[in-house]
Amino acid sequence: MDLDESYVDDRRERANEPLYIPPIAAEPTTSINLAQTLFQPSEFDESLEDQLAQSISSCDRRHPLVSTEIPNVFPHRYDKNFLILTSAGKPIYAMKDGDGTIAYMGVIHTIMNYFKLKEDQDLRCIENGDVRFAFLDREPIVLVAYSARGETSNELFSQLDFLHSYLLSSLSERQLSKIFSKRQNFDLRNFLESTDFENLDEICSLLCERLYPDALLGALRSLSMKKSHRAQLHEAMSQQLTKEKDLPRGTLLYGLIVAPENKLCSVLRPKGHTLHTTDLHLLFCLIFHRFQNLDDSQELWVPICFPKFNANGFLYGYIKFLPKCNSILVLISAQKDAFFNLKSFADHLIKDISSNGLLEEIHKAKGFKISDIPAPLVHHFIYKSKKHVQYVMPELELHSDTEPEQLIELERKFMTYYQQIHNSVVRDDGLAFNKSCLNFIRWDSDAIEPSEEPIAMLGLGWITPKFELYLICNNGVDDKHVIFESAKRIISWCRKHESRLFVNEGAIF
Amino acid sequence: MNSSVTSIKLVLLGEAAVGKSSIVLRFVSNDFSENKEPTIGAAFLTQRVNIGEQTVKFEIWDTAGQERFASLAPMYYRNAQAALVVYDITKPQSFIKARHWVKELHEQASKGIVIALVGNKLDMIENGGERKVAKEEAEKLAEEEGLLFFETSAKSGENVNEVFLGIGEKIPIKKPGEQANEQSGLRITDDQRVDLTNSVNGPVRSAGCNC
Ligand SMILES: Nc1nc2c(ncn2[C@@H]2O[C@H](COP(=O)(O)OP(=O)(O)OP(=O)(O)O)[C@@H](O)[C@H]2O)c(=O)[nH]1
Ligand SMILES: [Mg+2]
Repeated sequence: MDLDESYVDDRRERANEPLYIPPIAAEPTTSINLAQTLFQPSEFDESLEDQLAQSISSCDRRHPLVSTEIPNVFPHRYDKNFLILTSAGKPIYAMKDGDGTIAYMGVIHTIMNYFKLKEDQDLRCIENGDVRFAFLDREPIVLVAYSARGETSNELFSQLDFLHSYLLSSLSERQLSKIFSKRQNFDLRNFLESTDFENLDEICSLLCERLYPDALLGALRSLSMKKSHRAQLHEAMSQQLTKEKDLPRGTLLYGLIVAPENKLCSVLRPKGHTLHTTDLHLLFCLIFHRFQNLDDSQELWVPICFPKFNANGFLYGYIKFLPKCNSILVLISAQKDAFFNLKSFADHLIKDISSNGLLEEIHKAKGFKISDIPAPLVHHFIYKSKKHVQYVMPELELHSDTEPEQLIELERKFMTYYQQIHNSVVRDDGLAFNKSCLNFIRWDSDAIEPSEEPIAMLGLGWITPKFELYLICNNGVDDKHVIFESAKRIISWCRKHESRLFVNEGAIF
Repeated sequence: MNSSVTSIKLVLLGEAAVGKSSIVLRFVSNDFSENKEPTIGAAFLTQRVNIGEQTVKFEIWDTAGQERFASLAPMYYRNAQAALVVYDITKPQSFIKARHWVKELHEQASKGIVIALVGNKLDMIENGGERKVAKEEAEKLAEEEGLLFFETSAKSGENVNEVFLGIGEKIPIKKPGEQANEQSGLRITDDQRVDLTNSVNGPVRSAGCNC
């Protein structure tokens, strides 16, 4: 293969093995320091382009093979597991328990005791070849991740933290400590309900099998919709609040409309307060796994602990399925008897937004496709706006006959690319190498079977103080100039349509 | 058009998976789902029923049976005028739980609360399943405690409407303002009794009437 080393940042090439994925993406060799140059689409910095041009040598002489499907660079199946146990070593949960994982709990317990982690450092990692173990000690709970997927410590940490947060959201820290203060040896499995195990399964599957960058990026996916429609929704929320002056203080803390696929549509919140994204991720998971089959005849009143907001107490969620748009209205209160106050608020709001057709507009908001953006050779991308703590990505374009298993396969493939691209621009502790950083990453391999196409995949990760962009090119693309141009176009496009793509302030009270 | 609407606040209590949500689904939407999700927290639903000249609006709290939510139950039954205490006739444990609920309601709920004891999943017996809670035993409890008693199947729909009609028949209809503090949520615009002439299978009524 005839590649110029100087622009191949991460060569995924091995002579004998058809495909090799290093456990951790190597430190990028051509990350460009943008620390001083904040991105401005109009006056795009020449210096950056120069630097980049220098690092990109003449194009590959190979004939580029461009295809509309991207190959899978990640064939392993049983390469990851999550375990949860009590500090006393009693098993609570294992994502995969096929090979008697529960039996390992004792070993893990011993390792944990050996560590006796320091107060300020509740995470430990052990590496062994391609495999990495991460331990998170959250007395009285210990969480363990095992992964051969090349995730950073920080990534595994945030996944374990997510699982721990789920337990808290269901039980609350207070209840948990109460249980274990009485009996250290308590078997928590007796206290958890079947729904808890199902929810843990769902979260694990989201983290390991789906295109769910929410946890990786610490951001929410937003619903793209017309700016004026979103403004009208927020206006309706604000007006309703003004009308219900007698809604006692503290009764309504937070309001959300969430569209299918966990997309944030609009927000109602007090000035200066936002909920932590982890809390919202948990809420969204609950909504779309527990309440999928809701119909609009019922309204729910659900106690939930938001661990990042207050791990010791419960808040109460009024949850109502919105007719005509498959979305869900959530109103959150600190008072357990506020249901009817919130219901009246919701009734009026829904009447308002259904009479002027806004519900249909939410339904019509269908996202965008990669072909809507003039970004040649880009297969797919994720754009995160740091200010909004939200991200967008093009809808996956599926054949009408895609089976659920194929969809999972596809999502997992995408997610693997994004994880590796992400890891090529952040350090092991999750921080970016520089304030701004741009890196190309590449995966190569010859075809294993004659019928398969060789893998020549190129990805780009670009982090600045304002945005993060991760993009995957079509297989066979290797012209970095074109990709860089496309990346700039995507960024300009996302910025231009910012108010359509993201939920800005929301309705503030 | 009749202008009189009576609201009846009703709460469902009972062990997890006995079929509370299924009974409500049958009553509200005349539907059944084989794999109904466990309720988290509680669900609020309403259903209007025309009974003669009268419209009765049931305001229903379908609570979660999971033990973890038990401490929230008082919030739902505190203002309720009626309660369905549901058990599964194939699960003895659920009948024990039902006894506890009846006791708790008598101790904690409003004095005039109308309680219906409901043994659900009757269809399973009819399809060869084994009954584990004798009808006589439940009838005895109903008699002692002054409860209405029904055996139902949310799956086939058998007897489900009768439960609600039986409740409607038992709720005392009072003039507006009367006993306002005791039943603050009851909006009564007519002093006529609910006419439940279409109640087909009359409920097995117990002796102790507590109205
Ligand atoms: N055969 C049969 N199955 C029933 C009947 N009623 C409910 N089920 C089934 O029993 C299971 C539990 O029903 P739910 O209605 O969810 O029970 P629940 O009491 O609301 O449970 P929680 O919400 O967890 O408290 C579901 O799978 C129902 O399909 C019935 O009358 N006959
Ligand atoms: Mg239920």
